[in-house]
Amino acid sequence: MAAKLLPIGLLISALACKPPSASEQMDSAVSWVGTAGMAGEAWLRHASPDKYTRQTLELSHKSLIDIGTSLLKSLPAGIDSATVDSALARSSTHIALMAQLVEQKNSPDFRTLLDSLYADERVVKQLADSVEAKEQ
Amino acid sequence: MKKILQITLGIITSVGGFLEIGSVTTAAQAGALFGFQLLWAIALGTICLIFLVEMSGRLAAVSKHTIVDAMRERFGFPFFFFVLIGMVLVAFLVLIAELGGIGFALQILSGLGFPLWALPVSLVVWLMMWKGTFSLIENGASLLGLVTISFAVAAWKLNPDWSSVGASLLPTLPEQDKVKYGYLAVSILGASISPYLMYFYSSGAIEDEWDRSYIAMNRVIAGFGMTLGGVLSICVLIVAAIALRPKGVQVDTFPQAALLMTTALPRWGFYLFAFSMLFACFGAALEISLAIAYFFAQGFNWNWSENLEPSKNARFAFVYTIIILVSAVPLMLHVDPIRVTMLAMALTSATLPLAIVPFLFLMNDPIYLGKYRNGWITNSVVGIVVLISFVLAIISIPLQIFGG
Repeated sequence: MAAKLLPIGLLISALACKPPSASEQMDSAVSWVGTAGMAGEAWLRHASPDKYTRQTLELSHKSLIDIGTSLLKSLPAGIDSATVDSALARSSTHIALMAQLVEQKNSPDFRTLLDSLYADERVVKQLADSVEAKEQ
Repeated sequence: MKKILQITLGIITSVGGFLEIGSVTTAAQAGALFGFQLLWAIALGTICLIFLVEMSGRLAAVSKHTIVDAMRERFGFPFFFFVLIGMVLVAFLVLIAELGGIGFALQILSGLGFPLWALPVSLVVWLMMWKGTFSLIENGASLLGLVTISFAVAAWKLNPDWSSVGASLLPTLPEQDKVKYGYLAVSILGASISPYLMYFYSSGAIEDEWDRSYIAMNRVIAGFGMTLGGVLSICVLIVAAIALRPKGVQVDTFPQAALLMTTALPRWGFYLFAFSMLFACFGAALEISLAIAYFFAQGFNWNWSENLEPSKNARFAFVYTIIILVSAVPLMLHVDPIRVTMLAMALTSATLPLAIVPFLFLMNDPIYLGKYRNGWITNSVVGIVVLISFVLAIISIPLQIFGG
């Protein structure tokens, strides 16, 4: 009985470990950039605690780095990996700097970086749309 | 006058106790990913829940039996034991998710990680169970849960297109992500039709010594209370669809969910969300712990009542003590409560027939209900919704898991 179930178990494990597609990863990247933007806006309005904001920005930064690492291996043909890599790297760098500015309670510089992040957000969204179109 | 007060309190507690981590997470994920498109699932689940809650109260008021008592008596212990294993396993997962929800709410307020909160939160829940009475748990926690009405305020302030909201009450399929859509529909139905609520409600009716004079009151409380609660769930979905979806923000983690109301209520949205989750999950954790203890005590014919001293029903108190403390362990080991929630809600849908089909048999048995047994409308509505949930669960859960 156990011998019969083993291949089924292995098949399920293999399928369950199937990595997300490139467009799913790009959607996730868009989500994390958007999360960082919303968390930043709330902090600038003094409507959320410093610790929450910093932790959320750090989580967004880490998630974007993880996505970038695995995404570049699975991008569909016709998408320039250097463009994707630089867009994600720029966003994650901005988010990391924003986390530091929360620590320093530096709102003016934070506002400037947040505006840059909005520009990054538009680029990442456009890239996500391109990846999705290529995958279909 | 006393009945009117009881009805008012019943409706208020139903509204305050309706939302919990499952309903908030599933509705927020659905809104963020599919806009208003999954509103029908909340509406369908709420309609089914209204019937089920009304049935639970009617069974207790007429037969003086809780669901578990009647199930064991009618179908015998071996069958009951089979149901017990399924129900308790799912309820245990839901309890982990609720305790995680409290921990996460405290995490976003304090900055201290939720694993650190797992044990203190469990101890507070246990202490409330140990020292509290049934009415304190039923009314106190639910009254605090009224802060969740802030979701309705947020939805109203975002001024949704009400014609689109109305149109989404009819099911439609998305062009993409059909598996995820199905899985979310199943999870929403599981979050709405929570069997533990039936066990809690019927046991509560016995604790409150309901008789046949409560049948009309039971109908009003179930109808109005659950409808208003369902409206709150719909509001969560609306807020997520308007505030998160345009930015592409998905609700994969709790810090992302915490941003839900910051667009509609810029100054207080973050804190209202945190306190909504804190009180809603606290109330739900108490109800689930109590429902599990009721399930064991009534099934094994032990003494049971939340109004008795623990020394007078030691085995009942022992069950909730163990179950609460064990639930804290996965959280201390960093198990993600959002993932547990989604799994628990989908499994709830998959196991619904186990809980509901025997209950439908009971509700049609003249020995227990006499002339108060179910009519064809109640049987049809509950039967069809349970069938839809089960079929969707059987199809979408494997696809979701296999799809990574």
